[in-house]
Amino acid sequence: MAFLQAFLNGLLVGGVYALIASGMALIFGVMRLVNFAHGAFLMLGTYLGYYGWTLLGLNPYLAFPLWGAALFALAVGTYWLLVRRVMGASDFLQILLTEGIGLVLIGAAQLTFGADYRQINLPVAHRITSVGALHFSVGYILSFAVSVALVLALRQFLARTEMGRAIRAVAQNRTVAPLMGIRVERVSAITFGLGIACAGVAGALLLPIFWTNPTVGGPYTLKSFVIVVLGGMGSVQGAALGGLLLGVAEQFTAYTWADRYAEVVNFILFLAVLLFRPQGLFGGKGA
Amino acid sequence: MHARRLVLAVAVVALAACQQSKPGRIGIITALSGSQQAFGQAHDRGFQLALEEINAAGGVLGKPLEIVKYDDQSKADTAAQGVAKLVDQDKVTALIGSYSSESTKAIVPLVARRGVPLLMPTATADNVLENTQGWSFRLCSGATDYANGMVSFWKDAGTPKSVAIVYENTNFGQANGAAMKKAATEAAIPIVADESYTAKSPSYTAMLQKVKEKSPDAIYFASYLLDATSLMQQSRQVDLNARYFSAAGTGFSTPEFPTEDKGAGKDAEYTFSVTQWMPESKWPGSAQFAEKFKARWGSIPAYHAVQAYTALKVMAEAVKKAGKWDPVAIRDALKATDMPQTTFGPVKFDARGQNLHPVLVTQIQKGKYVIVHPRAEATGEPILPTPKWSER
Repeated sequence: MAFLQAFLNGLLVGGVYALIASGMALIFGVMRLVNFAHGAFLMLGTYLGYYGWTLLGLNPYLAFPLWGAALFALAVGTYWLLVRRVMGASDFLQILLTEGIGLVLIGAAQLTFGADYRQINLPVAHRITSVGALHFSVGYILSFAVSVALVLALRQFLARTEMGRAIRAVAQNRTVAPLMGIRVERVSAITFGLGIACAGVAGALLLPIFWTNPTVGGPYTLKSFVIVVLGGMGSVQGAALGGLLLGVAEQFTAYTWADRYAEVVNFILFLAVLLFRPQGLFGGKGA
Repeated sequence: MHARRLVLAVAVVALAACQQSKPGRIGIITALSGSQQAFGQAHDRGFQLALEEINAAGGVLGKPLEIVKYDDQSKADTAAQGVAKLVDQDKVTALIGSYSSESTKAIVPLVARRGVPLLMPTATADNVLENTQGWSFRLCSGATDYANGMVSFWKDAGTPKSVAIVYENTNFGQANGAAMKKAATEAAIPIVADESYTAKSPSYTAMLQKVKEKSPDAIYFASYLLDATSLMQQSRQVDLNARYFSAAGTGFSTPEFPTEDKGAGKDAEYTFSVTQWMPESKWPGSAQFAEKFKARWGSIPAYHAVQAYTALKVMAEAVKKAGKWDPVAIRDALKATDMPQTTFGPVKFDARGQNLHPVLVTQIQKGKYVIVHPRAEATGEPILPTPKWSER
């Protein structure tokens, strides 16, 4: 029973990880860009969720499309202004730029919101629901449900729509895609926007069960890398499964061994996959 | 173009150098951002009040006292860079800081190497007193005092049959975990769980469930504020019950912790915590300090603020005694400190540089901290056993 509880709790947290990492995987798969600013955008999502709730009374579980749209717009703007210039440049330049964007966002957040931490008191998120001897936090269930629904929607979007096909085409071959009439720049901008929106929405969904401050995103950038590698560099589906796997691995490690080793296990998984299965645990050919 | 830039750069550097190398200042390192910002803010406010009072009373050595602040971002490596910045660039003569034991441990050897005195206001891990080479002094009581204080309260209120120790995997957490292991062993209380965790995680349910399976009679947490909130909320989620939910101060002993919008709210109710100071403490100026603080910032200060406040006053006093801005003279003055009447109680350092400071035990009752131990200072009776989550 306890194992089942740890497993299910792991899945619940993992759902949010899956959403964050899917965004990063999409950006990496299509743009070949390692987005070090991912956690910083997630942080912006938490603040949108916070101010949406405290100033406008918008419940993050309902208002998340708004915050996703806001982050999408911001990311598209960032793409045209900055990211566009390092497309196809060396990894080093890309890392410098995205890390720089992240630092600017964190600094700007500290200036505007202050370094003070925030949390919201959403009664529904702290309610407990029990199934037999299993206990769940309603907040986690909601965050999980919305995250998983969005990951599935993203998958459908990529598989079924014209834009989704264009995105996959660019992921497959950036040089040939424009010859087929695909506007690579536009596709890249939209991809970046979607990837960032995933992180932002995940931030807004984490807020009711967690807290935020301008540096809250850092660990999630790192976690996303691990997940993207687990899932196969650039595979959105792989990242989604990788996120769930990481959530479960963390809770299992905490339950059977010790919470402090959860990160150790994460990085052992990361190294093992890089060494023995560099294409990722779930195969995956990009986007 | 290049020449102009070069001239500009040289001018900027020269200007910066002029501004920075002004001797006669005290450097402060604390967590003004990052996950421990709540404590850094308490520090900052304490320093601010002390600075205003010192300067209103004529400053130090005939001049207004100046401090230089450095934000360690709640990270030990950044704190270490702070020593280089404050001492090498800003030429401060003495240092106070940092907030956490992790960051403080990192700066102790660095100040010794540079020969600058350091006063540690809040670091509870006892290893911050190692390798000080006589340059570092600690104002607060340490992890061993915390554990002994809590065990002494337990003995008074009914010795628990078993204890689970849950602590953050950092210098602060490990030190307090180890101190409780030792204290519980000495008191013949069986330790049924010994769990350390990675800070700032969104979910501790698996760990708490593991603790629950051991059915401990008492739980002793060593956590910062954000995790203290998560731990109590998730204890409710996994229905972890114990006679005593108790803690090594810190996150469990801040004005924010019992509030709904910045802490665990109702889930914080009944928790016991060690603390180093309360507005009700009998030391002179305690109530006034709390009032002044509340009038200015709207909340009752925790001990972290008064430790910072007192630290700056002690340091200023040492500079006055030394009679000059000289690190060796200030260090020697600190060694000879004897201030029986500070807001934080008597201050006098032993041979290790430790100020002998007593601890109190509080319980949160109806959202307020009530002193329940030692008896002589109690402002209320402990509520025991802690009601089960299902009965709250």
